Amino acid sequence: MRVTIVTFRDIFQSEAQEIDRFSEEYRKMSAVVFLDKSDAVKAGVKEGANVLVESDNGRVVVVARISENAHPGLAFMPNSPWSNRLVPAKTDDTRIPSYKSISAEISATEDKVPTVEDLLREMVS
Amino acid sequence: MAVCTGCSLLCDDIEVSIDGRSITRTKNLCRKGFGRYRSLTSDRSVPRVDGRQTSIQEAISRAAEMLRNARRPMLFGWSCSTLEAQRKGIELARRARAIIDDTSSICQGEIVDMIIRRDIPSCTLDDVRNYGDTLIFWGCDPSSSHPRHMSRFSYYPRGEKLQRGHEEDRTAFLIDIRASPTAKILAGNFVQIPPGGDSDLIDAMLAVLDGKIPKVKDKKALISMMNTLKKADMGVIFPGLGLAYSLKGRMDRLKALVDRLNETTRYNVISMVGHYNMRGFNQLLFDETGFINRVSFADGVNHGPMYSVVEASKSCDLAMIVGSDPISSLPAGIAKALARVPMITLDPHRTLTTELSRVVIPTALSGIEAGGSALRMDGVRIEFDAIVKSEYPSDEEVLSRILEEI
Repeated sequence: MRVTIVTFRDIFQSEAQEIDRFSEEYRKMSAVVFLDKSDAVKAGVKEGANVLVESDNGRVVVVARISENAHPGLAFMPNSPWSNRLVPAKTDDTRIPSYKSISAEISATEDKVPTVEDLLREMVS
Repeated sequence: MAVCTGCSLLCDDIEVSIDGRSITRTKNLCRKGFGRYRSLTSDRSVPRVDGRQTSIQEAISRAAEMLRNARRPMLFGWSCSTLEAQRKGIELARRARAIIDDTSSICQGEIVDMIIRRDIPSCTLDDVRNYGDTLIFWGCDPSSSHPRHMSRFSYYPRGEKLQRGHEEDRTAFLIDIRASPTAKILAGNFVQIPPGGDSDLIDAMLAVLDGKIPKVKDKKALISMMNTLKKADMGVIFPGLGLAYSLKGRMDRLKALVDRLNETTRYNVISMVGHYNMRGFNQLLFDETGFINRVSFADGVNHGPMYSVVEASKSCDLAMIVGSDPISSLPAGIAKALARVPMITLDPHRTLTTELSRVVIPTALSGIEAGGSALRMDGVRIEFDAIVKSEYPSDEEVLSRILEEI
């Protein structure tokens, strides 16, 4: 199921980020994707289940949340090191990364959601 | 009263009770600000050199030595430092013939640049509270990003000329792609657009102003909004990251709309800057070099996209990061390139960037442990004192000591 990922800022996640970026709380608030109900059905993804989000730039496993309001074709992720796995490293002439419009494939997965430490390990591998 | 450095509103009405070195009670903080205050005791960084815990002095000396030996250093961050620290940082960049860039480079730099150059008119948040009768929040969600924006300045207050407040005297619109918390507050005036639809909406808005039929689905709603916008005594547009990213490289579209509105009434723009003193850094660097970010001092003063953090992360041979966490906030592919560069990081907290840094220098939390001044999102200077004693030096102090040693 192909969607456009749009990142956003969430106040609860911002609070958790201020307090401790290595906390479980911050991971819970950050490593999520908000899906449209019908998109989730098409992708075979249930509320609270792990979902693989894969763009041309990278892939990341996060937890699926089903939005109350409809936004077919769009999926929202809080801006975080998890969403940044998907943002293209290639930029246009402005050298401003495209944080808010990322084409990605979503699918159900049994894989685990990475911790910040996992993300860091991969960064230096 | 204390000042909160949790965002660029720099709320200066924070009441704090202190018992010795710890804060026992606070009043007026929003959730985000409260998080900042709570971070005083959470996960602080420790001085480190090459993975080994050391003294702050040794970390500073090592940082100075690395800067001395670097051929293409980059100094990045700055939006969470005081004006005093930023001034030292620019001095250090000159001395080290370094590239200097700040977080505006990957967010709202293009809009702030137009405001600082006076290419588009701006005003203060106090003007908004007293006179701003027609507001457009565009690609932003103040309810989440600047939680007291609407209550202290923009929407709810009864201003000098707006005694009936938002009930009668003030109209606010929200243009966004997401039905955000702010969209719930401004439900009747929420204009939902598709991703990247900002430029098309501007075309439609300009068409209505020219008396033409706009090419949108709900023509009636847009014409009604434009009629309201035209009647403003003082309108204010608050662009956020949504608009900044959607119009990147085409910010003349925003200017075209603002100019057109200003032919018949008065509209100002205040950028919804995130970090507490990004606006300050942009102003300081502009005053010194004529550019708000992306400057190289390697050979006089040069400016351009090659000096952006996105490019310099791939080309520098040393990165000094001040109060920022680029390993977390850059796209992973660029962060990976930066992670290969030796990094010196100044930060009050442990971050993804400190974890990968050769040298870590812990610093005081400004606004709580360190005093100074900063520019609010509207460019107004706010001063603050330290409210608790700290064992950590301020960014300014660390940068001064590095400057002495270099």
